[in-house]
Amino acid sequence: MSAYRFDRLKILVVDDNVHMRKLVVTILQAFGVIQIFEAESGERAWAILRESNPDVVVLDWMMEGLSGLDLVQMIRTDSQTPNPFVPVIMLTGHTHIDRVRQARDAGINEFIAKPVSVKVMMSRLMSVIENPRPFVRTKSYFGPCRRRRGSPEYRGPERRTEKTILAAE
Amino acid sequence: MSRQQPIELFMPPNMLKAKVGGSFVGLDMAAINRAEAAMEELKNEFASWAQDDVRRLVAARDAFAAEPGSATRAGLLRAAHDMKGQAATFNYPLIARVAGSLSRLIHDLPETTELSLGLVDAHVNAIHVIYRDKVMDMSNKVALALSNELEARVAEVLGS
Repeated sequence: MSAYRFDRLKILVVDDNVHMRKLVVTILQAFGVIQIFEAESGERAWAILRESNPDVVVLDWMMEGLSGLDLVQMIRTDSQTPNPFVPVIMLTGHTHIDRVRQARDAGINEFIAKPVSVKVMMSRLMSVIENPRPFVRTKSYFGPCRRRRGSPEYRGPERRTEKTILAAE
Repeated sequence: MSRQQPIELFMPPNMLKAKVGGSFVGLDMAAINRAEAAMEELKNEFASWAQDDVRRLVAARDAFAAEPGSATRAGLLRAAHDMKGQAATFNYPLIARVAGSLSRLIHDLPETTELSLGLVDAHVNAIHVIYRDKVMDMSNKVALALSNELEARVAEVLGS
């Protein structure tokens, strides 16, 4: 048993509010993350993504210009994306179910509802490390599987007619 | 009920796990304690951060009052929404609540319906007063009554 080497991670923090960025960066630094990139806009984040190819993106939803949702869609589907599988953790004040669904449909991996708490931040980070979701490609969507963890206990209706599981590992 | 389009489901290599190494032993409490201590230190700065956010909201309100339109309305929504998310973190839960009410008003009101500057101002002024009086808990009866009233007015406007 050993602790994670968070110092090996590169994390991009995207928020147009300088205070919220500082808060998130402070938490990540205390976790031991050293390489943290900051972007104050979706446009700047896209440039940093392409230059630095971070391991995780922590992203605000509502920003002027390119929003958090727009950026996630670019990360997942743009031909210039450096890594369509990069885990995206979305910070948001939106907690209404429709908004959660909207973000999920854009391809985010995890949510953090504001106010930001240290334990939730750690738990979401651990979640993308320990429990990555499979990816799904359909005509209209590419991103993490939107069914929570593909749970084997799922007892709801099976809506998919064709399922192909490709082991990429 | 079946979905008609074929899907491809696959598991990408877990590069993140390979990079950080180690194994899952529960939440890393040492790291959590370090981060909570770092947040405590930051709390000294929260007062000036909250002040910046109040100024930003007032500026967005002024821009909307000077030139009502979709761009200034969107700017006001962003400022209110940010404040809703941040005020609770900065120990101003009642500001978060009033900012949430303002966000709901702007967001849920159809774009074609005029946004009442009077109701916007009532929210902005309430936030200003709560911040000025440093109301940082939920037990202030006047501030609570004000929040309730604003939420009721928004519900009335939205017909909900």
